[in-house]
Amino acid sequence: MYYPFETQVTPLTSVRRERILPASGDTLVRLGDRVEPMQIVARAKVPGEFRVVSVARQLGVRANQIKEYMRVKVGEEVRRGQILAQKGLRPPVKSPISGILTASGGGRVLVETPPTMTELRAYIAGTVTNVLDGHAVVIETTGAVVQGTWGAGTESVGVLKRLVKSPERMLRIKEIDASCHGTIIVGGAGLNEAVLERAQELQVRGIVTGGLSAELLDAAQKLPFPIVVTEGIGSIPMSAPVFQLLTTNDGREASISGRVNTRWGVVRPEVIIPLPAESLPSTQAQPGMPLAVGARVRIVRAPFLGQAGTVAAIIDQSRRLETGAKVRGVEVDLGRGKTVFVPLTNLEVLI
Amino acid sequence: MTEIETPTAQESSIGSLLVADCGTVTTKVVLLDRVGGHYRFVARGEAPTTAESPWTDVSAGIRHATEQIAQVTGREFFDRSGDLITSKIPDQQTDIFAATTSASEPLHVVLGGLVRDLSVASAERAAAGTYSLVNAILASDGRGGLTEEERVRTIHRAKSHVICIAGGLENGAVRPVLELVDTAALACSLMDEGARPRMLFAGNSQLRQRIAEIVKGRADLRVADNVRPTLMEENLINAQEEMDELYRESKMSELPGMDVLTSWSSVPVTPTARALSRVIQYLWHVGGNHSKGVIGIDVGAANTAIAAVFDGTPYLTINGNLGVAFGGRKLVESHGTDVLTRWMPEPMTPEEVYGLLINKEVHPASIPQERRELWLEQGLAREAMRMTLEMARPGWKPGAAQPYRSLLPLCDTIIVSGGVLASAARPGQTALMVLDALQPIGVTTLVLDKYGLAPALGNVAAVKPLAAVEALDSGCFVNLATVVAPVGRARPGGTILTVKVSYDDGSSFSVEVQHGQMEVLPLPPGQQAVLELRPRPGIDVGIRSRRDYKQRVSGGLAGLIIDARGRPLHLLGERKKRLVQLQQWLWDVGA
Repeated sequence: MYYPFETQVTPLTSVRRERILPASGDTLVRLGDRVEPMQIVARAKVPGEFRVVSVARQLGVRANQIKEYMRVKVGEEVRRGQILAQKGLRPPVKSPISGILTASGGGRVLVETPPTMTELRAYIAGTVTNVLDGHAVVIETTGAVVQGTWGAGTESVGVLKRLVKSPERMLRIKEIDASCHGTIIVGGAGLNEAVLERAQELQVRGIVTGGLSAELLDAAQKLPFPIVVTEGIGSIPMSAPVFQLLTTNDGREASISGRVNTRWGVVRPEVIIPLPAESLPSTQAQPGMPLAVGARVRIVRAPFLGQAGTVAAIIDQSRRLETGAKVRGVEVDLGRGKTVFVPLTNLEVLI
Repeated sequence: MTEIETPTAQESSIGSLLVADCGTVTTKVVLLDRVGGHYRFVARGEAPTTAESPWTDVSAGIRHATEQIAQVTGREFFDRSGDLITSKIPDQQTDIFAATTSASEPLHVVLGGLVRDLSVASAERAAAGTYSLVNAILASDGRGGLTEEERVRTIHRAKSHVICIAGGLENGAVRPVLELVDTAALACSLMDEGARPRMLFAGNSQLRQRIAEIVKGRADLRVADNVRPTLMEENLINAQEEMDELYRESKMSELPGMDVLTSWSSVPVTPTARALSRVIQYLWHVGGNHSKGVIGIDVGAANTAIAAVFDGTPYLTINGNLGVAFGGRKLVESHGTDVLTRWMPEPMTPEEVYGLLINKEVHPASIPQERRELWLEQGLAREAMRMTLEMARPGWKPGAAQPYRSLLPLCDTIIVSGGVLASAARPGQTALMVLDALQPIGVTTLVLDKYGLAPALGNVAAVKPLAAVEALDSGCFVNLATVVAPVGRARPGGTILTVKVSYDDGSSFSVEVQHGQMEVLPLPPGQQAVLELRPRPGIDVGIRSRRDYKQRVSGGLAGLIIDARGRPLHLLGERKKRLVQLQQWLWDVGA
């Protein structure tokens, strides 16, 4: 039995997302509330700026002597440029920022600005199913989910707009026109720098692409909207199930997140399309199940990177690869009569 | 000094051993059992590590890997509720379960000290004794001279778990050390109490009381022996132990499923590299040649560890920044892609390198199916080993085992562990990766940890040495090659060494080895031969006494390798010539 890695490419499933504050604060919704993606559901104060002011050094006195020259006490508010300490005719020590003098010791003082407010949006349209007072809100909905492999940017919401006819096509600049404004545009095997520039000009809300060239990674990370790469870095056609799912939902509103973390709490970029559902269909594969014949899989390594199919057979005996390595694997039916041997580790099950 | 105990008679009552290692990406389990009074390898299983969703429980990965063993052996290891069966049901029990792990997030560390090349360098090596990532360095000398405010900001941004401050020789500097500690304490006081890093002071021990007063109420303080008590002396052991303790307390214990693992385990679950270090200590102690060292290298998905013993002193260095799945992208961002492509026998564009490294991070368990991707991964393994060795070497005091300051000390044995090395398509590939990266000198035996279980057995050895000893001999370790690597100047192509190999069946042959050449002589695993070495004047093959000119050596999967390419190894600068050179070396070792 082999328990493969999994990725979500699901037409309809239950979606649950935790919205966690970076520091303790206030939750603004109640259990059972319906929320919209841009709705603020929680907020918290995060520490502001600070400055360390070397009073003793500037006054030319010992650390334990500054008390007698201080004009402001710990806990008092100060304005930028206000005198903090003064000794005779020496230039006074002024506060570099407006805030509160919060500490003094070792010959220096600390001035902190008031905390700033950070707000947390719902991200997905759904129902609040749990509230951890002051810390987190759980929102649930039903809908389609596509998990990507690489991403950049934060979160956004917009209408999905497919711009290429087939997943093998590169997204070209001429395909992006004014109608893309405010939408999440969907491409195929890749795109170029001009496409990224035009997308910014037209203020799209996000980009979904099968592949992305390594040269564009820096530019992608500077985009003002999220980008989700579904297959990997390089010119890689979007896998058929992903393209099909996004095509089916063309014109629907979706939430997109470009956040990615590959270790210690894996976070994958994603597209969520909320869909109404009376009852959820049983998906082909449940999370955490052993690999079985018939499972929908995607190949994550060349020469078949990004190609999807179904497991035709699980091979007990190890087979030799082009590299010379002998490994266990499966036969994957890629359709149109094409079956290939793929090492177990180079597969992920689509759930 | 050593943690190895003497075998006890009671150990004969032990039945089966189930040993597991939860790596960042892969979990491996091996079953060993008594056959004819001795431990023998029975079966193994391997599964993806399950620290992440949907399982978020590392014990699930152990169950998955053990299921494969159950299929082969017909034994049951878990009860219906999923708990490991340890009761004495004939043929159904596991007498000892031992686990190691490297799957936790490492300890994020800020290092502070007075001089970058002295106390800070020592603190860096102390931190490298456990799974750690150095997020920032605060040095008081020229290269790290930050204002106090910049230091506070640096500590803030680093979001570390530990601030380790060294500095001040014994009876040495006072004020700059206290200032540094005060700054660190100030930075801590600006953080939420729950997010404050712990502070470890490993500097001038006379300042402990004053430091406790400065830090009081602002951070949780621990102290360790001064890592740099004198200019010439380094003392890492106590600081490494403290760091290791902090890692276990704050990171390893947080690994999802750790409670289950602990409840199953007959011995404390141990960090993989620390357990590897224990095995290396054992091997040095049982090995006959104490004038040489023993090294163990483990190249994992996220970390690379080198454990060494010289003159009876153990050393452990973990490079938490570089493995074969994680760290490659950052490596090429800081060093350029040439650092990897220089090891590849075919060209690859920087964009392709970068793309492949990112894709590997996203799918860390995936393996190359095409040769060019294999060369890249093996190039990364070479760099991971080479860079970890560079971290480790300044901390070693190998004494007689180090005839050359800039080369690897003389090693009797090098234990080679990690998926990229153990699963290479051909043994020659594994041997060549190790030879290129570590560049051993003299006569060395390369031993392959076939199933990656050496660390877990090291863990067993802490309490059941006999079981571990027999298990190590039971097929988990296999000789990869015996290597002869001469050192010395010679003209290219000039004869530097004559090697005579005499087999046990009475046959023999002699070979003249030219400088720059690599020769592989037939000596399969299980066979032994007498090796007679006749180096030319000025050539050193690590022989320190006349009797060593004749040595009995064991065969290996890659045979007997005479690596006369020179030390340090010279890669040709011109790309086309280098590609030919690298391809030639691959052919030479049958890779």
